[in-house]
Amino acid sequence: MEDFFTYSVILGIFVATFKIATPLLIAATGELVAEASGILNLSLEGTMTMGAFSGFLIANETGNLWLGLVGAAVGGGALGLLMAVMTATVKVNQIVAGLALNILGLGGAFFWYRSVYEEGGAVAFPTVDRFQTATIPLLSDIPAVGEVFFDQHWLTYFGILMVPATFIFLNRTKYGLELRSIGHNPEACDMRGVGIISRQYTAVIYGGVMAGLGGAYLSLAGGNQFFDDIVAGRGWIALAIVIFGNWRASWILGGSLLFGFLEATQLSLQASGVDLPYQLLLALPFLLTIVALVFNRSRSQVPLSLTIPYHRGER
Amino acid sequence: MSEQVADAPQDSPRPDDHEAGAGRDPLSMLFQPGAWRLERRLHTRPVYELYATLIALAITAVIIGLLVIIVGVSPLDAFASLYEGAFGNRESALETLVQATPLILTGLCAAIAFRAGVWNIGGQGQFIAGAIGTWWVYDTFPGLPAPVLFVAMFCGAAVFGAVWATVASVLLVRYGTNEILTTVMLNFVIDSGLSWLLSGPWQANDTPYSQTERMVESTFLPRFFDDSRLHLGFALALVMAAVIHFLVRRTTLGFELRAIGVNKQAASYKGVSVGAAIIAVMAISGALAGLAGAGELLGLHHRINFEFGGQAVGFTGIIVALVARLHPAGVIVVAIAFAGLLNGATQMQVGTGIPAALVDVIEGVALVLVLLAAVACRYRLRKIAHHG
Repeated sequence: MEDFFTYSVILGIFVATFKIATPLLIAATGELVAEASGILNLSLEGTMTMGAFSGFLIANETGNLWLGLVGAAVGGGALGLLMAVMTATVKVNQIVAGLALNILGLGGAFFWYRSVYEEGGAVAFPTVDRFQTATIPLLSDIPAVGEVFFDQHWLTYFGILMVPATFIFLNRTKYGLELRSIGHNPEACDMRGVGIISRQYTAVIYGGVMAGLGGAYLSLAGGNQFFDDIVAGRGWIALAIVIFGNWRASWILGGSLLFGFLEATQLSLQASGVDLPYQLLLALPFLLTIVALVFNRSRSQVPLSLTIPYHRGER
Repeated sequence: MSEQVADAPQDSPRPDDHEAGAGRDPLSMLFQPGAWRLERRLHTRPVYELYATLIALAITAVIIGLLVIIVGVSPLDAFASLYEGAFGNRESALETLVQATPLILTGLCAAIAFRAGVWNIGGQGQFIAGAIGTWWVYDTFPGLPAPVLFVAMFCGAAVFGAVWATVASVLLVRYGTNEILTTVMLNFVIDSGLSWLLSGPWQANDTPYSQTERMVESTFLPRFFDDSRLHLGFALALVMAAVIHFLVRRTTLGFELRAIGVNKQAASYKGVSVGAAIIAVMAISGALAGLAGAGELLGLHHRINFEFGGQAVGFTGIIVALVARLHPAGVIVVAIAFAGLLNGATQMQVGTGIPAALVDVIEGVALVLVLLAAVACRYRLRKIAHHG
């Protein structure tokens, strides 16, 4: 056990914290914008899986990882568009619509993957030459700090950058504030002539694009292949992080990093051969999510019209 | 679904709208005499929902047919082999009913909870809890006479399923914790728990696999026919559908759960104890999924193995319930249809090379279209009368 508290192990935990937090962070900041407009998109798990697949497909076919990211954004955005049609236009119950698109996203990715890569009932599990970490010159030479903060994937920097960006967008720009007013009081916005449906479309499609990119991190940067269970509950955890973070961008960063840290600690405990059933460690992130949701019940920033569809001329 | 209850009366078109607005406001085109207009129905007859669902399923077939063409197979061949594998002969039709058995129960599990506006996504975990409960009773009370043991095992399954669901409902009622997320998290937790049980305390001595020992033959559920695996669990599932229908329609609890499903606050003003109703509904819901676990264990597998984690019957149950528009009788029909898809997909893959995962796409597309159709049938296109 004393081997565990060595410099390299602890440094490794901090490096891994950011890697594990990245897909959660990207998906959760996108979901924050969607929820700010009053639409709860429960389909993150399916959308991330679709993004992980469509990103992998394009990257594998073209050999270009950046085009893969575009593919992931398109795959996620397409599901976001469908979600927007169902909830903002047709006004299907948002929870039910989210569950439906979750299933469509997962099923679509499974089927598409098999119809491309399955030969005679067996999948070849192709791999891509995944993203390398983007080492920032000079800064990465700082001991410890450099390795943790300046030797990560581009997508990790992007995810962290999205935190202040999302904050500024939602709190300091006209469009973002309008979006939040729609989430709180769509009737008042409608009377002021703020177009509700177009803004909800923008927000939900954006959320889908971000979930797709979060999924692509898993298949193009964190790993180098696609498989059915690749997202493994991260979509649901990202949804929980938005609630846990009380719909604030900064707390979402904290929540994602906390998750990343606990998961990274768990992984290196497992690697150090600690005498605990590994299944307990597997269940840990999900138990922690439940505990976090129970202990953090602050709802001060919840969009007041979340999940309530707006019908002009009713109520 | 509750928000569409109130129907605002529609303005009747006035002829002078035409004279006043014509040519300026493009929207006034819609109000011109002789034009078609989309408007809210004042009353939606239940049969319209059925028609809308059937139309949605027909469109699903068209979309899936196009998808199959893209993959490079004739849709007629694909559908024919799908049907052949699902209902083509006595053997496959009975096997479809075998696969429908757990789906009916997990479908009811989702349907009753969703009726009450409680989003129990944990059917999968409660299904596993039921299998664990069954095995626990079997393992703990080996000396019981057969009839008592059967009852005890099913009770154990129902109780374990109910308890696992109650974890989420207590957190919901006590702390307001979002039950969608807690039930999903509990699915992952019990999956790991089962994996631990199967590779540790309950692992069979005689195999290297993660599975329990095979149960003794006296615990096998009776089968209806010699040539099929169709077991008593199917009858149990049908009975439970009838029980749930009765419970929702004819009992106080049923009234309460429908009331909180429409509007929790109004129900509470009316004197319904919302918290108690949520706990009761979730317990019933979890118990139904638990019974599905017992049925699969005692009727088919006779040991807990990896198949219990991988079948995803809990998730398919959610789709079944939603496509059935939460009606217990509809759950039976949709569960059999979906079981047919699952059953036929294997044959389709062998015969045409289309991946069996096509079923996942069919389920997703069908669900999306049924949901859209359910909203669409609340509207009608009306031709506005021509004035002068």
